[in-house]
Amino acid sequence: MSAPGSDADVPATPRLWTVAAIGGGMTLVAGLVAGSDRAWAAWLVAGEFVLGLGLGGLFFVSLLYVTGSSWAVAFRRVPEAMAATLPASAIAILALLLFRPSGYPWFHGLAAHEGPLAAFKVAWLSYPFFVARAVAYFVVWIVLASALVRQSRHQDLDGDERHSSRNVALSAGGLVLFAITVSLASFDWIMSLEPNWYSTIFAVYQFAGLFQSALAAMIIAVVWLHRRGPLRDILGEHHLHDLGKLLFAFSSFWMYIWFSQYMLIWYANIPEETTYYVERTQGAWGVLFLLDMLLNWAVPFLVLLRRPPKQRPEILVKVAAVVLIGRWLDLYLMITPVKTGPVPPFGLWEVASIVLVAGASIVLVLRALRRAPIVPLNDPLLAHSLHYHS
Amino acid sequence: MRTLVGVFEREEDILQATDAARRSGLTILDVYTPYAVHGLDRAMALQPSRLPWVCFLLGLFGATAKVWFEYWTTASSWAIDVGGKPWNSLPAFVPVTFEVMVLFAGVSTVIAFFLVAGLRPWRKAVLVHPRVTDDRFVLLLEQTDAAFDVTQVSRLLERHHVVHIEEREMQEVP
Repeated sequence: MSAPGSDADVPATPRLWTVAAIGGGMTLVAGLVAGSDRAWAAWLVAGEFVLGLGLGGLFFVSLLYVTGSSWAVAFRRVPEAMAATLPASAIAILALLLFRPSGYPWFHGLAAHEGPLAAFKVAWLSYPFFVARAVAYFVVWIVLASALVRQSRHQDLDGDERHSSRNVALSAGGLVLFAITVSLASFDWIMSLEPNWYSTIFAVYQFAGLFQSALAAMIIAVVWLHRRGPLRDILGEHHLHDLGKLLFAFSSFWMYIWFSQYMLIWYANIPEETTYYVERTQGAWGVLFLLDMLLNWAVPFLVLLRRPPKQRPEILVKVAAVVLIGRWLDLYLMITPVKTGPVPPFGLWEVASIVLVAGASIVLVLRALRRAPIVPLNDPLLAHSLHYHS
Repeated sequence: MRTLVGVFEREEDILQATDAARRSGLTILDVYTPYAVHGLDRAMALQPSRLPWVCFLLGLFGATAKVWFEYWTTASSWAIDVGGKPWNSLPAFVPVTFEVMVLFAGVSTVIAFFLVAGLRPWRKAVLVHPRVTDDRFVLLLEQTDAAFDVTQVSRLLERHHVVHIEEREMQEVP
């Protein structure tokens, strides 16, 4: 085995992706300045997408520590790098909340609202409280992510096992905070787009989507790092097989939660709840509505059902790419219908959103990967992970 | 059938001995371990299990049968209006269909495994070695013909730290 992990190992980010990130970002900023509703929605979709990768990485790293898992330690630097993108998502989302809060329909008052929760909603969705909460969520996530990553990198230098046990404690408490903050953030930033509508399972649905897409991104990253050299002697078919199993499982989990939300609303058939699905199933939206299930569940489920495809990197990468497209579409379906009419828009703003997502994710994750050795050199579980058998 | 029983003390040894026995073209009747040893299926060159197919097909059957049954009860045989929903309300069928699929797939896989493995309550357990359910690993080889050289095979097993070798006549593989 070659000496793992020197900084030069991770190849430089191709210029194309930097151009994509800047081009997509500038286009959307221009749209926001011009006051375009579609650019607003496209920016939120892109922000939520990249945020999902960061939160998914944070969750995965925490889960490894809490469960004492060794199998993924060999490529833990990938989810760590994903978690290190959280400050960028913070800037993207806070910028929207600070400079264009009027995109939220409740910003100018909740006049039409009534019902038992009206007073609570008015208080909850008061603008200063809304912004303060957003800042608090990001502080929690960024502090957690940077503390975990910092301990892990200190361990590279001194090999002290106490860094691992500190991270276990940090992850255990962090996961509790994670559950609360991610739930509230999904209510605040997405569900409040339709302040009279609510779904109690919405946060779980958000979590399912973000973790599924983070797994897909992780698969693409580790296969790429394997092909390009840094993880060549480190990543084995057993690691891939387990990542494939997780992607399969969380695709099914996403579908399960998606259907739980849909069926309860469909069955109860209460007008203030069904509006959400009426908007999203009419006309051409209905096609995208079905496509969402196809990309996020049917394709990964059918392709990854048997064992061999879960072990073949070229198939896994394609399924992961489908899931990532599905994630963008899922967010698009949550956010865009509120801003537009009966025809799903697809043009400059939406393309810019996709280009920004792809460019920003790649640039940010690779930049974070280059900051540390590609494997946690002195992690006590590393040796076990390198010889992992599923 | 004339067999050669090799007893090992360590997981790594049984893995390597099995691998070596397969490579030298010996007939491996079975390998006995106190717990599931990862990689043993590959060392024995076992074909992938066919149980997943039983699981998949019976699961598919369960789901299909249940959708048909729900359709028949609510829309065809005795149509009932529930809350103004269409009689043939597919989303309402999904949870039960899912459960029945899991039930069929799970139970049928276990039953198929019992049948194939010959596992039944009145079966007399014949252990190839008394400690194989505790801390010993056993490789069972068949002495296929006169070309089977016990000395040579013993030497091969000794390279992998076999602790006990014994020739045994058997009616069937336990």
